[in-house]
Amino acid sequence: MRLSWGRKAMVLAAGSALALALAACGGDGNGGGAAPTSGSSGGEQKPLVFGTTDAFGTVDPAGSYDNPGWEILYNTGQTLLAIPPKGTQPEPDAAEKCDFSDPKTYVCTLRAGLKFSDGSALDSADVKTTFDRMIKIADPNGPSSIFADQLETVEATDATTVTFKLKIADTTWPYRLTTAAATIVPSEYAQDKLQESTPETVILSGVYKIEKYDPSQQIILAPNENYQGSKERKNSKVLIQLFKDEASLKTAVESGDIQVAYRSLNPTLIKDLQDNGAAKGVKVVTGDGTGISYLVFNNKKAPFDKKEVRQAAAALLDRTTIAKLAYNDTVQPLYTMVPKGMDGHVEAFKDLYGDKPDPAKAKTLLQTAGVTTPLKVQMWYSPDHYGEASADMYQEIERQLEAGGLFDIELKTIAWEQYKEQYAAGAFQAFQLGWYPDFPDPDNYLSPFYATNNFIGDGLGYSDPKADELLTSEKTEQDPAKRKTTMEELQKYEADVAPMIPIWQDKMIAAVRDGITGVEETFDPLYTFRFWLVDTSKAK
Amino acid sequence: MRQYLLVRLGLVIPNIFVLLTLVFLLLRVAPGDPISAALGGRLPPEVLAERRAAAGYDRPLIVQYFDYLGDVLRFDLGTAVSDNRPVTTILSINGGATISLAVSAIIIAIVIGLPLGLLAARYRNSVFDVVVRIFGILTYAAPVFFVGVIAITIFTGMLGWLPSGQQAGPIYQATVEAKTNIFLLDALLAGNGEAFVDGVEHIIMPAVTLGLLVMGVLVRMIRVNVAQTLRDDYVEAARARGIPERRVVFHHAFRNAMVPFVTVLGLQVALLLSGAILTESTFSWPGVGSELVRYINARDYVAVQGIMTMVALAVTLISFLIDLVNALIDPRVRY
Repeated sequence: MRLSWGRKAMVLAAGSALALALAACGGDGNGGGAAPTSGSSGGEQKPLVFGTTDAFGTVDPAGSYDNPGWEILYNTGQTLLAIPPKGTQPEPDAAEKCDFSDPKTYVCTLRAGLKFSDGSALDSADVKTTFDRMIKIADPNGPSSIFADQLETVEATDATTVTFKLKIADTTWPYRLTTAAATIVPSEYAQDKLQESTPETVILSGVYKIEKYDPSQQIILAPNENYQGSKERKNSKVLIQLFKDEASLKTAVESGDIQVAYRSLNPTLIKDLQDNGAAKGVKVVTGDGTGISYLVFNNKKAPFDKKEVRQAAAALLDRTTIAKLAYNDTVQPLYTMVPKGMDGHVEAFKDLYGDKPDPAKAKTLLQTAGVTTPLKVQMWYSPDHYGEASADMYQEIERQLEAGGLFDIELKTIAWEQYKEQYAAGAFQAFQLGWYPDFPDPDNYLSPFYATNNFIGDGLGYSDPKADELLTSEKTEQDPAKRKTTMEELQKYEADVAPMIPIWQDKMIAAVRDGITGVEETFDPLYTFRFWLVDTSKAK
Repeated sequence: MRQYLLVRLGLVIPNIFVLLTLVFLLLRVAPGDPISAALGGRLPPEVLAERRAAAGYDRPLIVQYFDYLGDVLRFDLGTAVSDNRPVTTILSINGGATISLAVSAIIIAIVIGLPLGLLAARYRNSVFDVVVRIFGILTYAAPVFFVGVIAITIFTGMLGWLPSGQQAGPIYQATVEAKTNIFLLDALLAGNGEAFVDGVEHIIMPAVTLGLLVMGVLVRMIRVNVAQTLRDDYVEAARARGIPERRVVFHHAFRNAMVPFVTVLGLQVALLLSGAILTESTFSWPGVGSELVRYINARDYVAVQGIMTMVALAVTLISFLIDLVNALIDPRVRY
């Protein structure tokens, strides 16, 4: 069909007019549409509007192994055991009770009347499914490694009893059951692949359920009417607004678009909010975090193959200055790999080397090692993975180590992808790493680093029979007091051997608008945001 | 016309093949993979290698390449490894935001750029013409992200007039049901005037920023073409017949400048897509472009490959459509 020019012009004009109409026919603000959701005053629950730059992935516990994903799971699902707010010990959640019947057998009894968000009953068969499918799927991005090495079998002994048979005696097992990876899913979930993350397909039993899941823009958590448990919800629902950059996140909380800005605001933005936020109705709330930063030595590579050289470096560090200059005190000095707030934390490095640089001690140590000073060392760091502030941190470390003329540091960096491969291959002399816990047990800060099969491998080049012996001892010890003593002994031992040096532990930091309360309550070693604790009833 | 159509269609297939091959190869040149990106800092190297192998990242490139082509033929764009979202879902949800931004930018570019170009041609060599020419050069040359950051600094930071990012405020996003995934349209469909106004406020800065990029090209192209046409014999003849100058410019000269205009507009779509990536990142706009950046950062080959494949197909399709429209507008094109 051929159109005349007039027809063509009409078609083009009509198309343009439609497009213009779409863009230009703005309402007058009284367009008769539904008003935004808001609660009334007088203490009534209102929605919590939460902002973050976190990137969210799958909501299937078999495939989720990062902080944002676990945060959703902690808020929408249940685990047999859970770490209570401000607590450090596992307590029953979906379970009524759990205990070791022998060192390799762990038995849990479920609460009565548990239900999933779709109203179906939650029983021991679902718990068995949860673990079996996770290990079977073994998703490349998933957390199956938390259980696969420990778990021999899991059995639904009866409708409310679950029996875990372990391959090894492991006192960290209850802690592993508190992780979001252990979130109970229905037996109806696909057994050999991950469940899609949509409101219709995510069926869990937590205090919230997913109402909207768009990881590019917004996630909405609505109350789960079928929730059976002790968590008291203090808001009507949660809108999680996702931001691409930190500056937009800060602007949004200042303008009131969001009520809580959490993870991540960089030190400069936090400082600005601390100084000027009050005028805009924003305060900064902080708590001890459990993310740590540490300096790794290659224990098989000169000059750090000598213990005294590692000790000398430890004696020259001033962590307080690093925290202040590089991070505006948004982190705090750390003197052992186990962060403050966890059981068994001892400031072993502070006891051995002090908290101020001691050049005389460092000089003596290097003389004992018989090395020629200044020692030339290449030190690697990764600002693209650990943030721009790590460049400031390593410049300060360079300054501190060179101050006494004992070291000559050359700072180097490459993209994280190469960085990972190079350190794992043992190419670096010294380098930056960081760590967040899988579960809030001190062992998760000891075994991954000090065990012979540690995750740093050739990058660390460390294997020590005494460390392995102490680790085995603390993992199998049933008496908490004895276990704590063993972990303290291990930290003191490792401070002396110094295969790596802890530098700082982070702080949990949120910018919160006036009238929002309860954020402080969720800042603890679990390192996750419990949305139900945030009270919005007095929100302005 | 039929022969012309068949020839153009015949060229589309090798175009797509070359584009898909480029997409595949470029992604494989980049270091890393989703497995090591996610778990590289947590697992011993040998376990990491096992997981990479299980996910198929250790297979020969040629095997991966033919698998990829086969999947595209079935229109299976894959599922993102990092968040388990099907690429088609990503495209359907985030595509709406990109389309609304691109359409708004084109409308702004046409509504402002077209009259500016015409008037500059009509009054060529005047002060107005000089100003328009400088404006055209500046808007074309200025980097999108630079213009965006300046706009945010002024209109959000200093004046507080406009929001700096997102499609709409969180509350409005929560209350408007996503039917088309184009927020402004969804707000209209929901009859929610406040949400619509909020959406307009949010889209102004990114759309103008992206629109300026296209506007620079349009203004210069229209000015040159219309000015040239105004010197043609048939236009002089029209003037000699006593036809008013306004009608000569808008009816005679502009009509003849339509073919290059439509062609350039089509070419701008490709420019618009690359500009959209920068604009979306600058303004936290939740479109395909910013999602692409997110997946690139996650080294998620599958998602990046799927999105890039769709973009390549879209650009090829648009080029084909532009050829068709040109053929309809001007029969000489078909020969």
